[in-house]
Amino acid sequence: MRAASQSPATVTGCEPGFRGVICVSFGAANTLADHDAGGMPRQDFRFASANPEALANLRSVLERSCVGVRLVLAGPPADVHAAASAVAECGLVDEEITLLCDEVGPRVIFCGHCHASTTTDHPIGTDVDCRGCATTLTFTDHFSRRVGGYLGFSAHAEEAA
Amino acid sequence: MTATALQTKFHPVLEGTLQLEVTNVSAQTDSITSITFGDPLGELLPSYVPGSHLVVQYGTGANAYSLTGAGNAPREYAISVLRVEDGAGGSLAMHALSVGDRVQVSRPRSAFAPAATAKHHLLIAAGIGITPVLSHARYAAEWGASASLIYVHRPGTGAHVQDARDLLGSGLTECTDRGSFQEVLTRKLTTQRLGTHLYVCGPADFMDSVLEQARDLGWPKGLLHSEAFSAAALDDGQPFAVNLARSGITVEVPAGVSLLETLENAGLSIPNMCRKGICGECAVPVLRGVPQHRDLYLTDQEKADNTTMMCCVSRSLDPELELDL
Ligand code: FES
Ligand SMILES: [Zn+2]
Repeated sequence: MRAASQSPATVTGCEPGFRGVICVSFGAANTLADHDAGGMPRQDFRFASANPEALANLRSVLERSCVGVRLVLAGPPADVHAAASAVAECGLVDEEITLLCDEVGPRVIFCGHCHASTTTDHPIGTDVDCRGCATTLTFTDHFSRRVGGYLGFSAHAEEAA
Repeated sequence: MTATALQTKFHPVLEGTLQLEVTNVSAQTDSITSITFGDPLGELLPSYVPGSHLVVQYGTGANAYSLTGAGNAPREYAISVLRVEDGAGGSLAMHALSVGDRVQVSRPRSAFAPAATAKHHLLIAAGIGITPVLSHARYAAEWGASASLIYVHRPGTGAHVQDARDLLGSGLTECTDRGSFQEVLTRKLTTQRLGTHLYVCGPADFMDSVLEQARDLGWPKGLLHSEAFSAAALDDGQPFAVNLARSGITVEVPAGVSLLETLENAGLSIPNMCRKGICGECAVPVLRGVPQHRDLYLTDQEKADNTTMMCCVSRSLDPELELDL
């Protein structure tokens, strides 16, 4: 099932020069239904996932908005972080973006050795095998907006050195 | 300036300081003069980041002036100086310069750089505040970056007006009174595309008002940049004590007396130049205690680290500081 707001008609519904709160939620649950926009005008968008089409829509919404806008991204961590990385390219700074990640859900681990991305359901602080180079990676809560993922490093780096 | 300096490119005393020659002096307006400095041997000067300033020495004092060029492999450093009759004398000394005179200048210092991630640069200048902003505009024109400028100047007294028109074309909005500026400012602050960074330079109250309005309209701090080109008058401050760890002595700094003066009175010789928190020469290492930073030299991060302070203007938030002196 696709969210109605994915249709271009709804996207163009965000008036040009919008400077309120843009609430974007990914996945099945409408996490932001009760989000407090602090009295600012708000626009809601729902996407099934942070796929290229959804991110392109989100970018076009942002391109029509003006400085003063606040963006809230909610849903599974992998979607939220993919979206955060995409909107960073639009020049948004940290103060303009709020990330609300579901407690559970897939995360993207960015391999510090071969730069491949691996999606995992494992919680922070555990190990995961890199999809690219098979290195056992350990990841902490160091999230990089630039690469859109958590940075993973060889769990046995010290021993190897 | 000494005769031996003819041979040397760098001042023998202050490492990294340049000795340059005045290569051109031209009047911008009745009260603003543009001065260019070049290497006496005609060599290229160190490149600088747009919005940088130069500390120029005069007599026993020194003043900071914004460079007006784009900064890439410059042959000359250009500044424009407003004559201030009742100032400390720096602007009068600059206005007295003529072609061929030698001056000591710092290497360019950057404290007002364009953001690399910016999608658009909204430049705002009032009066002589045009100087660092012109550097940004030149840089944007050179590299094809998107920029616009709101320039507030009284008719006939604005410096670099033609330069601004040539560089920005329709991206320039000129305002000649506060009323029309306010209208333009409100409109611009509410219509900038995401990723726009704002840069303002002008009198302190002008900058405060622009920054406050931007914040009120939802501009995050990370998008706001300002350049103070004169040190604000500082109050006397509270007395405090400094413990000089290596000398093993403690000295009292009374209200109204600077830490630099106190250290000099105690027999220490601390390198210094501007004595007003601009040049960065008088840095002293802090081992313990929280300084009250009042300089324009250290970055916000450096100030937060509390490991260095500019002893000519900064004081202490704690009753006692320990210095590595
Ligand atoms: S002497 Fe210039 S900053 Fe202190
Ligand atoms: Zn790998």
